[in-house]
Amino acid sequence: MADLDIRDLHVQVEEKVILKGVNLQLSAGEIHAIMGPNGSGKSTLANVLMGNPFYQVTSGEVFYKGEDLLAMAPDERARKGLFIAFQYPVSITGVTMASFLRAAVSARRGYKQELMPVSEFQKLLRSKIEALKIDPEVPGRYVNDGFSGGEKKRAEILQMALLEPQIAFMDETDSGLDIDSVKVVADSILRMYDEARGGMGVLVITHYSRILQFLRPHHVHIMYDGRIVVSGGPELAEELEQHGYEGIRQQFEVVASEVQEEGAVRRAGKVFWVVH
Amino acid sequence: MASGSPGAAGMTRKTVEALSARMREPDWALTRRLAAWDAFEQLPMPQVTHPEKWRRTDLGDLDPGAFCLVGGTGDTAQMRFIGTIAREVGERAGLITHLDGSLAAIELMAEAAQQGVLFSDLATAVREHPDLVRDYLMTTVAPPDEHRLRALHSALWTGGTFLYVPKGAEVVLPLMSQTWLGAPGCALFPHTLLIAEEGSSVTLIELFASTGDGPRTLSSGAVELILRAGARVQYAAVQEWGLPMWEVGSLIRAHLARDASLRSLVVALGGGLVKVDVESQLLGPGASSEMLGVYFGTGGQQVNLHTLQEHQAPSTSSDLLYRGAVKDTARAVFSGLIRVDPGAQKTNAFQVNRNLILSRGARSDSIPMLEIMADDLRCTHGSATSHLDDEQIFYLMSRGISRKRAAFMIVEGFFADVFDRIPRERVRSYLRARVAEKMI
Repeated sequence: MADLDIRDLHVQVEEKVILKGVNLQLSAGEIHAIMGPNGSGKSTLANVLMGNPFYQVTSGEVFYKGEDLLAMAPDERARKGLFIAFQYPVSITGVTMASFLRAAVSARRGYKQELMPVSEFQKLLRSKIEALKIDPEVPGRYVNDGFSGGEKKRAEILQMALLEPQIAFMDETDSGLDIDSVKVVADSILRMYDEARGGMGVLVITHYSRILQFLRPHHVHIMYDGRIVVSGGPELAEELEQHGYEGIRQQFEVVASEVQEEGAVRRAGKVFWVVH
Repeated sequence: MASGSPGAAGMTRKTVEALSARMREPDWALTRRLAAWDAFEQLPMPQVTHPEKWRRTDLGDLDPGAFCLVGGTGDTAQMRFIGTIAREVGERAGLITHLDGSLAAIELMAEAAQQGVLFSDLATAVREHPDLVRDYLMTTVAPPDEHRLRALHSALWTGGTFLYVPKGAEVVLPLMSQTWLGAPGCALFPHTLLIAEEGSSVTLIELFASTGDGPRTLSSGAVELILRAGARVQYAAVQEWGLPMWEVGSLIRAHLARDASLRSLVVALGGGLVKVDVESQLLGPGASSEMLGVYFGTGGQQVNLHTLQEHQAPSTSSDLLYRGAVKDTARAVFSGLIRVDPGAQKTNAFQVNRNLILSRGARSDSIPMLEIMADDLRCTHGSATSHLDDEQIFYLMSRGISRKRAAFMIVEGFFADVFDRIPRERVRSYLRARVAEKMI
């Protein structure tokens, strides 16, 4: 059984249905990418997996190492090794990055009431900041407060490096970055992936294929209208480059008209693309 | 355990006479107390005389004269309790401890004493330094007849802290006072008189606490801060009253002469109902006042703070930052007035009030007010009220931090810009710990 097993997940926000039956299996040691047009539900999926209370799961199941993930609060998920790099991290005025990171690392490492000793934490933080070439002023600043878009993304990567997740969701970590920054981010992710020696799985959510050229994911999934309609290898990203999302939409609708039934569309969609 | 209360039947003119006799006061002091008592008997409650300031405060059937007056026999177990507060704040140049309205202990380090600094309970100062006390005690800064509760305070002040800093004296470490009320059902009227002479420099930190058990207790205090030309004073009042306490009609008022500077910090954490006026009157050119405030109401607490930044002279500046949080069904009211008198040109006056609401049932009102009668000045004021942000909570929780700690971190962050302006780390960490306790 995969470490993360998503079965027929349906999610809505208020009355709007966003995920219409997502199935996905992901294990440590694997790099997956989910691509898809805006509004297809990619970010929703990452947020729901992390437990964002804004979204309601209406049906389906998610198991993490055999446990019911949906029954866990977000902090429990994080302590068990899940991580999300947010597309739009919120700022928290008055809370320094250093105190936030120390609380987070302490929680992840199983400290209960007390926190990780300052000296030990400082050493760890310094090493990660150097490795990721992050501005040494960052720990003294308030959480994401006044950060540029790129600084926010790098701060998310720093958190990932400190928390050493087993499964990380990267929610459009490449968006808004120039190509050089995309490469830096991809290199950082790959370094963490390599250092984990098969202990870390990554789910990269992206609109563009450029970060995938660096990451070379094992599996690529295309999400469309709340479902994963196609799954394949890295070559899928290249195909998508040629056809565009409009191509998917047309092909998906052709299949839908032929098959009529919801569940069958999903299966047929996958077959269809592979045949093509 | 209302030990030492002279009469549970309440306060009378005889209570005033007995108190004055017990303190071995000179005639002038008794005369003043009795005049104040007469004013108390004649004045209506402040809701009547000052309706705008009091209309958001529900005093119910409060009868301030019905409490017993503390009798000055606190026990040493309580003293140990407040002793820990003073220890947490750290090194000091002196400490006064008041138990139930009487002096329990006093210390003053040689460094301060050798510079001629006078630091004692007010009752002792009335006997030993009548020349100083007579001229300044409730004469110009806090007159006895401003409202009914002030009159009662003036008639029945007990214990009290007196601090006189001679011209040019500089006391580096803070002086501290701690005041404890342990008698359920009793009233306390703490008074502080601080006189900082020309060019002197001093820090006074005052802590107030009271029993958490038994029937309602009452406190109505007055703090008079007199800053002569060029004096630099840091003043902090930190209260952790027990929940039975109603602190009503208290005043912290400063008079600042030319080039004097004051940094004040008011911390309101305890008490069932708290209503305090904090005022800086800038009387001489070049005077400046920084006013910091922290309040946090939980349970059913009511916190009312009213501030005044009054610019009576040109080229004066004031900078106020008050931050308050409310949780459960607590209610906070902040009203802050900036008044710039005619002719007080080249004035800088800033006021910021921020409120954080942590529970659906809690409420916070912020009322900034301006009365500007000069035309060449810089003046800004802002107030904002926000709720605990679900997205921030989720962000912190997504990193493994529990909801409880996440909420605490956000609240601590909310107070951070006030805490960051408090110069002493020990005071900052003490306040952080108290805020953490309030979050439980």
